Amino acid sequence: MGIVFTRLFSSLFGNKEARILVLGLDNAGKTTILYRLQMGEVVSTIPTIGFNVETVQYNNIKFQVWDLGGQTSIRPYWRCYFPNTQAMIYVVDSSDTERLVTAKEEFHAILEEEELKGAVILIFANKQDLPGALDAAAVTESLELHKIKNRQWSIFKTSAIKGEGLFEGLDWLSNTLKSGGG
Amino acid sequence: MFSLFYGLWKYLVSKTEFHILILGIDKAGKTTLLEKLKAQYSSLEGLPPDRIVPTVGLNIGRIETSNTKLVFWDLGGQAGLRSIWEKYYEEAHAVIFVVDSSSPSRFEDSKSALEKVLRHEDLQGAPLIILANKQDLADAVSTEELARYLDLKKLDERVYTFEGVSGYDGTGLKETVNWLVDVMERSKRTEMLRVRAGVTNSSGA
Repeated sequence: MGIVFTRLFSSLFGNKEARILVLGLDNAGKTTILYRLQMGEVVSTIPTIGFNVETVQYNNIKFQVWDLGGQTSIRPYWRCYFPNTQAMIYVVDSSDTERLVTAKEEFHAILEEEELKGAVILIFANKQDLPGALDAAAVTESLELHKIKNRQWSIFKTSAIKGEGLFEGLDWLSNTLKSGGG
Repeated sequence: MFSLFYGLWKYLVSKTEFHILILGIDKAGKTTLLEKLKAQYSSLEGLPPDRIVPTVGLNIGRIETSNTKLVFWDLGGQAGLRSIWEKYYEEAHAVIFVVDSSSPSRFEDSKSALEKVLRHEDLQGAPLIILANKQDLADAVSTEELARYLDLKKLDERVYTFEGVSGYDGTGLKETVNWLVDVMERSKRTEMLRVRAGVTNSSGA
């Protein structure tokens, strides 16, 4: 996976600083995905304002992960991480049907963020290895992805544990960014 | 008062933006066609056909031509994904329906998908262009032959046409865009969408 990743993203942004956010509710599998990609060391920081951000720096691209949901008081601080974001990878636990509504609400709230308006959206319908996991069409419906009309999006079934689907999704992402983005 | 005039001025000078849906069953060549359009009308290169993967979501292409902005919505065509098409109908000014002319075994599937699109009330009055795609291939049937097969009898009310194209080499794409711009500028649906946007004054969903 590490080599594949290099091929996809090595020349993507030239020397420009770029950011890809990996977001979702807690326990969606975001960190597992980050480790799966084997891009480098995952550095976990907890700023004094109190939310945990994990960062992987790959050349000039920063991948940053944090949990959505929970405390509303810290949300304004998320914005520190929005500038120069080319893409957002939204990860959902496809088997956690009870929390899909929350996942949807958080997702659409973050889409409203002005500084993320230009970001391409990749959705990982994760945990496909678990029984009862919804397929891509059902997750699309639950997240109301059709409300996105002004930028490109794509959804992929993934199993971060098994490493399935991640490559396909990132392939789409790198192609889309290459062809001019959202 | 100022804002009223400002609004009017903005309304008058702003370029009209048209939303065009690109529909069709999987493997019809919708995304390849979109990428070719982007390459022909903008400075963007567009993805080469061999880098294009099946769409599971939404691809967007924006082009400008003769003082008009066109936004193309290219949606995935696999059977399980077609349920999402209708969510985009309400805001669409026109529809491009793409058919792979070299694959007669799938004409039936195309025909029923198209009929379903045309029956939907949210698309009432939307101009339609049916593209007989992949004309670059030797075994592609002609536009006339495809038209005969699709046998669209109930289209009397709707503005529509057929065009033979190749999303691969770009044949027919300029004609397609010109036809669309021309009919959308005059269509009642455009007027209807404009009125509705004005009434609700929605600021970009």
